[in-house]
Amino acid sequence: MLDVQFIRSNTFRWALAVAAVLAALVIGLFGFIYWKIDDYLITRSDRMILVQVDFIALLPPEQRITAVEDHLKEDSRGVQFAGLFDPKGGRLAGNLERVPEQLRIDDPAQSVQAKRIRRDLGDPVIRAIGRHLSNGDTLVVGRNVDETSEISHVVGEALALGLLPAFCLCLIGGAWLSLRGQKRVDEVNQRVQRIIAGNLRERLPHRDVDEPFSRLAVIVNGMLDEMEAMINALSGVGNDIAHDLRTPLTRARLVLERGRTNAGTLEQLQQIADKAIAGIDQALAIITALLRLAEIENSRRSAAFGSVALHEMLREICDVYEPIAEDKQIKLCAQIAEKLEVRGDRDLLFEAIANLVDNAIKFTPAGGNVEIALARSDKETVVRVSDTGPGIGQQETEAVLRRFYRSDKIRNTPGVGLGLNLVSAIVKLHDFRLLIHPGPGGRMEIICPDVRRG
Amino acid sequence: MAKILLIEDDGETAEEITAELSDRGFEVEWSSNGVDGLDKARSLRPDAMIVDRLLPGMDGLTVIEALRKEQVRTPVLVLSALGAVDDRVRGLRMGGDDYLTKPFAVVELIARIEALLRRPVDNRETTLRVGPVELDLIQRTATRGDRTIDLLPREFRLLEYMMRRSDQLLTRAMLLEEVWNYKFVPATNLVDVHMGRLRHKVDGPGEPAMIHNVRGAGFILRSLS
Repeated sequence: MLDVQFIRSNTFRWALAVAAVLAALVIGLFGFIYWKIDDYLITRSDRMILVQVDFIALLPPEQRITAVEDHLKEDSRGVQFAGLFDPKGGRLAGNLERVPEQLRIDDPAQSVQAKRIRRDLGDPVIRAIGRHLSNGDTLVVGRNVDETSEISHVVGEALALGLLPAFCLCLIGGAWLSLRGQKRVDEVNQRVQRIIAGNLRERLPHRDVDEPFSRLAVIVNGMLDEMEAMINALSGVGNDIAHDLRTPLTRARLVLERGRTNAGTLEQLQQIADKAIAGIDQALAIITALLRLAEIENSRRSAAFGSVALHEMLREICDVYEPIAEDKQIKLCAQIAEKLEVRGDRDLLFEAIANLVDNAIKFTPAGGNVEIALARSDKETVVRVSDTGPGIGQQETEAVLRRFYRSDKIRNTPGVGLGLNLVSAIVKLHDFRLLIHPGPGGRMEIICPDVRRG
Repeated sequence: MAKILLIEDDGETAEEITAELSDRGFEVEWSSNGVDGLDKARSLRPDAMIVDRLLPGMDGLTVIEALRKEQVRTPVLVLSALGAVDDRVRGLRMGGDDYLTKPFAVVELIARIEALLRRPVDNRETTLRVGPVELDLIQRTATRGDRTIDLLPREFRLLEYMMRRSDQLLTRAMLLEEVWNYKFVPATNLVDVHMGRLRHKVDGPGEPAMIHNVRGAGFILRSLS
């Protein structure tokens, strides 16, 4: 199983391909070198033959026989061939028995079969030149080029000696890379399996950062960090939900339990039922608020965005909340400097601002003021809701955006504790910003930057 | 006696709704799936229907669409599971139908069914009259007998809505949706505060009360006849 995987592995196949290409290259290179050397050697020997032929041919006829004999005597390796023949083809001097049949006289050097006098040495193929001399004789000078085949043999040997180890090295390298890659994949797979099994702390292994595999691992680890944080946050929210749901449900349960034993009249029973329903309604309100929050957080910038006249909306909110503020002896007023519009979802923005106003009225003591203001600052439209209540402490400005966060000071004020989350989610959906200024005195701002056209 | 067709797959919920509606004098026919519901809607010709959004066999909205294609105009109240209110469901109100998200209070269901059965007649009259109260829709003035009632624009809208549906229970949710155009439930009890003011203006000292608070349910404008 491992072997099959190993051979199938991409790395190994690549190594094999590289080895094959390398072998082809080396063979090609050696072939070229061989061909070049061969060519060079033949050209050189041809030149030498020509020099000798010319030299002997230019001698007076009587000296030629000696020259031939001298020439052959000088050759210790026995590679030189020469022959001087009379017009009838009879041998006058040299080690050739007769003029080779294929030899074209007076042509440049060519390869021919030599006929030696000494048969025991065999008849090698030689490069030779034949020349008709002025007195009718024929001169043949040749040279054995078996050397070149020797050289080719040497070259071939060198090739084999060089290529085999290189090829093996390639295969071993490929196998090593392939095995290493597979080992890392196995390692990663093990870790991933552990993550799937629920161990969210697990991370992928990585060595130095410059290696692609390690870089990938670092990227994946970054993603895992983010996901772990998100999942932890989510389970935190789950705990919060459980806690906040448990409170009203416990109350309802207690009321029902006590009522079942103690209630004597129908009226008492109805009272108990009302209390229990109130507790259940509170629990349902929490669920509704959470679902609404999820709905807003998961929705994308919708195509239904349109132009929202904030000045009109703020007046409307002021109208709606004015009687409520008045009941609490709070003065609610709107400071609207000019007509200002932003792009957005009207209903959602209404909900967000109404929520802020609702909060401001709820937390401002009787006799205080709540002010809604609409203003322009540098390239931004600002909706500000401020009040004379206690406001939010410096250390709480971030905490208030946590789900279900309720300041200890206001623990007894009714509410679900998700209002600001909702506002924050709506604001984020619009790419606006929510600014919470620390108290005393509440001051919340929704900053709507101008949308750049185009 | 109004005949109501209930298409709801959960037997226990259906039983409760049926019992409640029967107590109030409605004749209720129950169907537990979409296909059977559609057949009954065709054959029984109910005055109104209550349809669960998610049904086995055939989706609740599909049932309604099929009926509408056959020119059956029976008003429908769609019950939708929490968090599943999409544009298709929201669109129901535009077409004169209504929807309610689960879980709901029974009074809410009854109030909405009654509202559907007694859809206000879209009269072209420019004045509305309920008992001694008269509303001039052109002049935007309100009087009770000889006394002029001084109303703010939103109070006028609220009174107009209530006069079009006099002697009918109007729940807080209905009022929020229709008068305030709210798409969400505000934390503060807006409706009660505004209704308190309106009541103060409509029912003067010594006059018989017309606006009644129904505990735990909503409000009614009674015509005093």
